[in-house]
Amino acid sequence: MDNRKAILKILNLTKSLEGLKVVDSVSIDIARGRITGLIGPNGAGKTTLFNLISGLLRPDKGEIWFEDKRIDTLPSWQIARAGIGRLFQDIRIFRKLSVLENILLADPNHPGELPLNLFFNYRNIARIEQKHLESAEYWIEFVGLEGKKDSPAGSLSFGQQKLLAIARLLAGGHKFLLLDEPTAGVNPAMIKSLLNLIQRIVKGGKTVLFIEHNMNVVLKIADWVYFLDEGRVTSFGRPEEVLGDTEVRKAYLGV
Amino acid sequence: MNYLFHILIMLCIYGILALSLNLLIGYSGLLSLAHAAFYGIGAYASTLLMVKLGLNFFPALILGIFISGSLALLIAYPSLRLKGDYFVLASLGFQLIVFSILYNWIGLTRGPYGIPGIPRPTIFGFEFNSITSYFILSAGIFSLVFVFIRHLCQSPFGRALKSLREDEIAARVMGKNVPLLKVWTFIIAGGLAAISGALYAGYVTYIDPTSFTLDESIFIITIVLVGGSGNLKGPLAGVLFMIILPEALRFIGLPDTIAPNVRQMIYGLLLILLMRYRPQGLAGEYRLE
Amino acid sequence: MLLQFLANGLVTGTVYSIVALGFALIYNTTKILHIAHGAVYVFSCYIFFTLYRILHLPLIFSLPLGIISGALLGIIMEILVYRPLFEKNASSGVAIVSSIGIYIFIVNLIALLFGNETKILSPGIEKTYEFAGVILTRIQIFEALAFIIVFALYIILLKLTNFGKAVRALADNPTLLSTLGVEISDLKIWIFALGSVFAGISSCLVALDVGMDPNVGMPALLVSAVAMIVGGVGVFESAVIGGFTIGIVQNLAVWQISARWQEGITFIILILFLLLRPQGLLGKRTRVEEK
Repeated sequence: MDNRKAILKILNLTKSLEGLKVVDSVSIDIARGRITGLIGPNGAGKTTLFNLISGLLRPDKGEIWFEDKRIDTLPSWQIARAGIGRLFQDIRIFRKLSVLENILLADPNHPGELPLNLFFNYRNIARIEQKHLESAEYWIEFVGLEGKKDSPAGSLSFGQQKLLAIARLLAGGHKFLLLDEPTAGVNPAMIKSLLNLIQRIVKGGKTVLFIEHNMNVVLKIADWVYFLDEGRVTSFGRPEEVLGDTEVRKAYLGV
Repeated sequence: MNYLFHILIMLCIYGILALSLNLLIGYSGLLSLAHAAFYGIGAYASTLLMVKLGLNFFPALILGIFISGSLALLIAYPSLRLKGDYFVLASLGFQLIVFSILYNWIGLTRGPYGIPGIPRPTIFGFEFNSITSYFILSAGIFSLVFVFIRHLCQSPFGRALKSLREDEIAARVMGKNVPLLKVWTFIIAGGLAAISGALYAGYVTYIDPTSFTLDESIFIITIVLVGGSGNLKGPLAGVLFMIILPEALRFIGLPDTIAPNVRQMIYGLLLILLMRYRPQGLAGEYRLE
Repeated sequence: MLLQFLANGLVTGTVYSIVALGFALIYNTTKILHIAHGAVYVFSCYIFFTLYRILHLPLIFSLPLGIISGALLGIIMEILVYRPLFEKNASSGVAIVSSIGIYIFIVNLIALLFGNETKILSPGIEKTYEFAGVILTRIQIFEALAFIIVFALYIILLKLTNFGKAVRALADNPTLLSTLGVEISDLKIWIFALGSVFAGISSCLVALDVGMDPNVGMPALLVSAVAMIVGGVGVFESAVIGGFTIGIVQNLAVWQISARWQEGITFIILILFLLLRPQGLLGKRTRVEEK
């Protein structure tokens, strides 16, 4: 493990869904400023683990600590405001809202979302809105959607929607990012720039935990890898080590 | 001419009701059957403040907004815990409880006898007692409400509401305080409905509980759904259609004895056909969840 | 006095239970909040009234025909309104609003044809009977007997017949049912027919007792909905527990407070249950709430 304090600590986390232990006594440390991969067969509990971290599910047992804060008892919105952002596997952009509106919604703690501020703190809100507009323009350009600013997000191609979701996530300014299959459905040419982007933002000080099925991607960018099988962590280490593990190969790759 | 102004005043009153209910249906995705309750609370609160405490219309109106907005918390709380059908039932229950109180708490509301002799609004000694002046007052208040709601819907608050209507899970994970947003929507919708109540009371100068029944709630929902929800032009189209339609029916010479039933039958049929063929209404953006 | 009000409560509970059983049957299987159940309720007793008082058919014919007419109406609603919505995969809100539309349409049609005034089916004073100091009218006894028969038959139907099995399977796992080769749309027709029969029985009995007007459907519907929630969603028989609870509480309210607050108290019960015990008295813990 890197010689730094873990940014996210999961202790002995257990969650059953419909009688099945989907996550079973999982303990994980995520190194700050690093890219950690989460791999495992379908149904291993990876996305459930993400749901537990982002507060969409409550664990039956165990704890989740983010920095010095226990977050497994917090509602999702507080977890987001604490600094955890998430890219969904199924993207979940707001399809009927415009590209611009999608990105303007990125700020997890916008004071303008409280009606009283709108009427008693209007000047401040207007200033923040202006700033958000500028940063939204930046992110839209960043992912190359300039021409689409006012189109409904649902009208974009799948690849563009994914880019929008990524731009929306980055515009949120979270220090910890959960990426659920960031490369799924992205064309090979774009995967490369996407991976560059992830590496770039991590250099900029962010931490990434990602779920991935493409082992080349894992080998290329992950600093650490956890292997999850039937709800348990069965292997952990450097990507080459974990992927070389015979158990992992048997369980996952079938070789 | 008076007839025309009467229609215009009704357009203003129902316009505010439709725009405010639209915040719940079209922006928060909550099908509330309790809007007539807030309309009634506003009418009774402002009336009682005027009749019993001798307040002027305008302070009574403002207090009425606050009273109705605070009582909206009673229905906001269930909305956070109950999904879909169960919330519809809870709002139905709330509507009927409020009606029951208006009807049976005779000591306060005079129950079925109603409250007659409600004073007309006055400002700086000017009394809005002619129908023309009352129209000007109504149109002024309606315009204020419209500007207020437009400001709200275009603000980050309105945007956040739209996001949770589209995908509540994503909104939560993006830091949107969904419970608080919904509670505020209820407070604002309840408070605005109270304005219609006060305007109505000041206009007809007599109120009784039968103006604020479940049927009235359904009528307001019909307005919003016929016009369409989720934007501002939808509910306004609905008001125009639903207020002018009965007048049109009158012009084609439907006898007064059957006109109310025929009108209601048309509303019922409209709802069925709309849900089947055009769930977004005449000009709306949002389809019911 | 307490006994008398309890007895009245139980009798009220029988007619509430019958209409609520139908509402719960439809909700548990189709997940439609069938507001138009109230319209079926009104329709049945007006057909009964037409046959019995206007065409002077004997009671033995007019009563069953009134009930059957309600069943037909229920089937028509399913085929003309709900089925197309289901095929379009429409949301529950859309179904509720459509149902409200049907209710408004039919009730106003009836008001148009028959007028708004109360119609009486059996004029004159009812014969009364006394049991241990409790006085019941003949029609009240009739209501209680009808309930016992209807409820017993319903339980047998649910537990012992193939139809009952299919109905319970539809409530629990509709996808499984279609893989078993049961035609769900046919099954739903029978469910609407049966549910509407319950509404018809209840409304005709009540109409014999106290008469009717075009607006009796909404209170009956509301009571059904409250009874279903109080009893517990997902359990077919539980609406009876809810029906009796409401019947008794309302009559005790009449005794202790005032008849005027009956309705208010019913809906306070509804809201309390929704918030504090959404699974009802007998219900399984289902996904009533959001996470």
